[in-house]
Amino acid sequence: MSDLAPSKPYIWKNPLSVWGTASGNSEAPSTRVPDPRDTWRKNTTFKVPTHPVGRLKYFLVWPHHGNRTWNRMRWWPTRRNLLNVKGLYNRKTAIPEKKILDRRPIYWVLSFFLLLIGPLLFPQSQMNALLTAGAAFGIFAAINVCWTLIIGTASIFSLATYAVVGTAAFVTSLLSIRAGVPWYALPPIGAGIGLGFGVLIAAPALRLDGFYYALLTLGLNELFRVFFTTSKQFGAASGGLYGADSFIDQKWPPLTQSMVAYYASLCLLIASLFLFRFINGKRLGRVLRMAPEKHEAFAAACGVDFKRARITIFLLTSVALGFIGGFYAAQYRGVGYSIFDFQTVLLGLAMITIGGIGRAEGAVFGTLIVIFLRDVLLELGPWRYLIIGAAMLGVVLFLNNGFFGIRRQFNAWRAKKRGEWRSTRTEKGGETLPEEATESNDKDALYFRRFDKVQRDYLKGLITPEAIEEHRRQPLGQHSEGLERILLYFRRAKLDDKYALHRAGPQGPYKIIAFSGVRGVSPRLVDDREYGTLDDAYHAVFMRRVHDLLES
Amino acid sequence: MTEVLKIEGLSAGYGPLRVIHDLDLAIYPGERVGIVGLNGHGKTTLFYAIAGLTGWQRGSILLNGKQIGRTRSQGPGRYTHQIVRQGLAIMPQGDEIFQGLTVEEHLDSGAFTPEAWRTRKERKERILRIFEPLRKLMKTPVGRLSGGERRMVSIGRGLMTDAKLYLSDEPSLGLAPKLGIAVMQALLAIDLKDSAMFIAEQNVALLEGKVDRIIGMHAGKLKGEASSSFRLSGSH
Amino acid sequence: MDIAFVIINAITVAAIYGLIAIAVSITWSSLGLVNLAYGFIFSFAGYAAWLVSTEISKDPFLIAGAGILAGAVGGIIICLLVFIPLHDKPAFTSRGMIATLAISLIGSQLFLMIFGPNSKSLPDIFGRWKLKFFDITLTADKIGIVVCSVAMLIGAVTWMRSSRRGLEIRAMMMNPHAASIVGIGIRRTGLYVMALTGAMAGLASVLLSQTYYIAPFSGLTPLIKGVSIALCGGLGSVQGAVIAAILLGLVEALTNKFLGGQFVLMTQFLIIILVLMVRPRGISGLVDKAREQ
Repeated sequence: MSDLAPSKPYIWKNPLSVWGTASGNSEAPSTRVPDPRDTWRKNTTFKVPTHPVGRLKYFLVWPHHGNRTWNRMRWWPTRRNLLNVKGLYNRKTAIPEKKILDRRPIYWVLSFFLLLIGPLLFPQSQMNALLTAGAAFGIFAAINVCWTLIIGTASIFSLATYAVVGTAAFVTSLLSIRAGVPWYALPPIGAGIGLGFGVLIAAPALRLDGFYYALLTLGLNELFRVFFTTSKQFGAASGGLYGADSFIDQKWPPLTQSMVAYYASLCLLIASLFLFRFINGKRLGRVLRMAPEKHEAFAAACGVDFKRARITIFLLTSVALGFIGGFYAAQYRGVGYSIFDFQTVLLGLAMITIGGIGRAEGAVFGTLIVIFLRDVLLELGPWRYLIIGAAMLGVVLFLNNGFFGIRRQFNAWRAKKRGEWRSTRTEKGGETLPEEATESNDKDALYFRRFDKVQRDYLKGLITPEAIEEHRRQPLGQHSEGLERILLYFRRAKLDDKYALHRAGPQGPYKIIAFSGVRGVSPRLVDDREYGTLDDAYHAVFMRRVHDLLES
Repeated sequence: MTEVLKIEGLSAGYGPLRVIHDLDLAIYPGERVGIVGLNGHGKTTLFYAIAGLTGWQRGSILLNGKQIGRTRSQGPGRYTHQIVRQGLAIMPQGDEIFQGLTVEEHLDSGAFTPEAWRTRKERKERILRIFEPLRKLMKTPVGRLSGGERRMVSIGRGLMTDAKLYLSDEPSLGLAPKLGIAVMQALLAIDLKDSAMFIAEQNVALLEGKVDRIIGMHAGKLKGEASSSFRLSGSH
Repeated sequence: MDIAFVIINAITVAAIYGLIAIAVSITWSSLGLVNLAYGFIFSFAGYAAWLVSTEISKDPFLIAGAGILAGAVGGIIICLLVFIPLHDKPAFTSRGMIATLAISLIGSQLFLMIFGPNSKSLPDIFGRWKLKFFDITLTADKIGIVVCSVAMLIGAVTWMRSSRRGLEIRAMMMNPHAASIVGIGIRRTGLYVMALTGAMAGLASVLLSQTYYIAPFSGLTPLIKGVSIALCGGLGSVQGAVIAAILLGLVEALTNKFLGGQFVLMTQFLIIILVLMVRPRGISGLVDKAREQ
């Protein structure tokens, strides 16, 4: 009897008529009654297509950790394993398997491997150009990694990074040219200059926040540019300083020179990445993650001295930047003015923006893209900068945090959409507010309300003209199934506002009243209409109740 | 006689939480309608949905027969200024004021149609006649006023244009009882020629007898309607 | 007299850079956007004025008008590309700033490609007459620059205070949510603000090119100077920017006279840093408290 169209007519035969005790109806046209369990199931099944339980992040499962689920070996002197591996026994097959929870170290190692064997893969015709570009990539990536530390970890929006590098490069070049300082002393001296510079511009960094500081450093960049370009001893006549000592001997063949430059820059990049790891991945970075923008007061209330942490990072990175400046002078034998240009700052900003601010891999990736566009695709001419600018604009407009922030952005968007879809699918009827549901002590009331709603939905389907006609002909007594269900529901209702009949005299006319449900409060008159016979009155009450049911 | 506001099957919510379920409502010109209900049952969400300050997922809202807002509202508040120009004046819960502007500038800012801007002097005079205490405070920045005065400024700002529908969200919220009554009386004394007023209020006593209809709102659905003869007694 | 000459120079310089400083201030306080593409607008307006002067006519009003109009158009372009897509997205301030820098990069490259690296010059729009005032000779361009800047400034401020649009801009500065309730559309107001500030930058460009030339990268120095002045005066207040402009103009002129051109920027930044250490939000940057949520 399930799922039949409920309006299938048939003739109901009163069972009591066999014994002759039926009063009134011995048969009546009626309709078939659908299974009430169908409505219940329809209302309470979970209609959402569900995936297998578990995380949606897909892990590759590797077999066998050699019949162990974890590895004893640690890398001395640390207590680290090589990778973050989780091993467990598969519940179904009882075979040990492992998952690599964090695959990023593998990607890093692969990238470095590719960079290392790069020269072997470069086409012979462009070997020199590619090696020079690679050397530039190494140095700029190192600078950008330190810049990411300043902007991302320390939240100090400083645009004077290239000014620090340039100053250190210029001063060390001057020292090398005038005082004959050897190349191995240049980076440390540069580091010292970087420290001095850092101390100088750290003080405003404490007092100013966010964009004020960015604008100030922009001005400082310009200041240094004008100073260096107009001062004679810093090579105003020749557009820069040249002739410093270098670790690349002039007497080597050009290919060897380029190779040495390339690998030296790569070493610098690796060193800067170590610096990033030791600052960002350890205590300082962790402390500063507690104090993001606009919530510093809370962090300070928890005992985090974020100002000191920020300044420490700032000074450490200034030292590193100075070191890179000295290295730059040592490698390129000097430095030109282009490092102070606004264009250079813009390109650097493009590099860290395209990759994603705050991540080392973002800085490296962005540098790779921009250097590729600028130094390798030389034949595009002035279009290179246009493409770089357009890429920067596009990334900033569409991506929340550069290329490496795509995954998080997509996940957030998908979670939001899923929430919206879920909300349009809830069919629980909203009878109770979520807060009400958790606050009320009597959970039975909640279930009753839900059950009541499902019942009412079912009964609405049972109200047909045949049922009403059947009731009109015989209000009391045995009825067909559909009508019987309806009547039982009505009779079970609470007394609060329940319809009743009021009789004026012994055979008197009947009027419909409604109980108040409160002791001592008299019922209210619902309608002025009078009914002559009891059957009419019963039917009238039935019609009112039906009307109320259909309205609710 | 088209309805000033006609809502059909509105479903609105915040993210996965659905607050209003399949709401149907119609308000006719010249009517004052009150909507009562406890906090958190969707009154403010309903107002915001009409004004476009929050997204709604299903149904339709017609203001003067014109559809306003759309189900895929791209970000709340994006089209509010256009919806408001169709003839909607909203006086939100807990006045949204401009801290640095004076009372006079506040009232000026409420006159956003060109016609209202041109006649703003007369309109301001009219508002001052309704809310007398503001006359002395015309040049003070609103950030320095007390709660009641701020509420008066906020309501006065809503009255500066000839809107077709006035939405007032809890005008007596947070005010001392005497002030609440005064504000409510001022609001209800305004002559609506062809417009309609829709007031959300928790304090039902303030609305008794002065509005044409009172609707109850519970758990995001409208429950029960009472005519102007409704008096507080018994349950619900 | 020497002092007078210094003061006159100071005021002239202050007028031009002050216009840009005020433009940056207004954009920041009403939209929350740090617009660093004024260099682009500068060159854009300069090139437009140059095109008008070579192709159409040499009428000074037309040239100046073309510059102002082109500045406004440039401002609208930036609004459409940067403000409208980004204003409701997370990290709007830093992304907006970077986007304006990207536009600056693209724009200067485009100008380099279209117009070539040679600088162009504009004809004198103020003529070559002189005024003798006590003992001081005032050349036409200096008077013209000061008069025009002050006129534009007063016009802009009056417009902001008395017109409906100005009221909308000020209201939007304070409470964007309430602004939409009274029919103030954020995007439309943003267009007005950017057009106004772009026009100011365009005028500054036309005025500055009386002394200097127009080149693809000529907008950078005025941008940085304008930004520094805005910073010193407080991002968000017009009076602060005016005061800072005069102060820094004086410093520039004095340094030029006594120490030499090399040290101008150094002394200016020294003063700026001193001011910022004492008042981290600039000379009168108190409006900004309302901006922070």
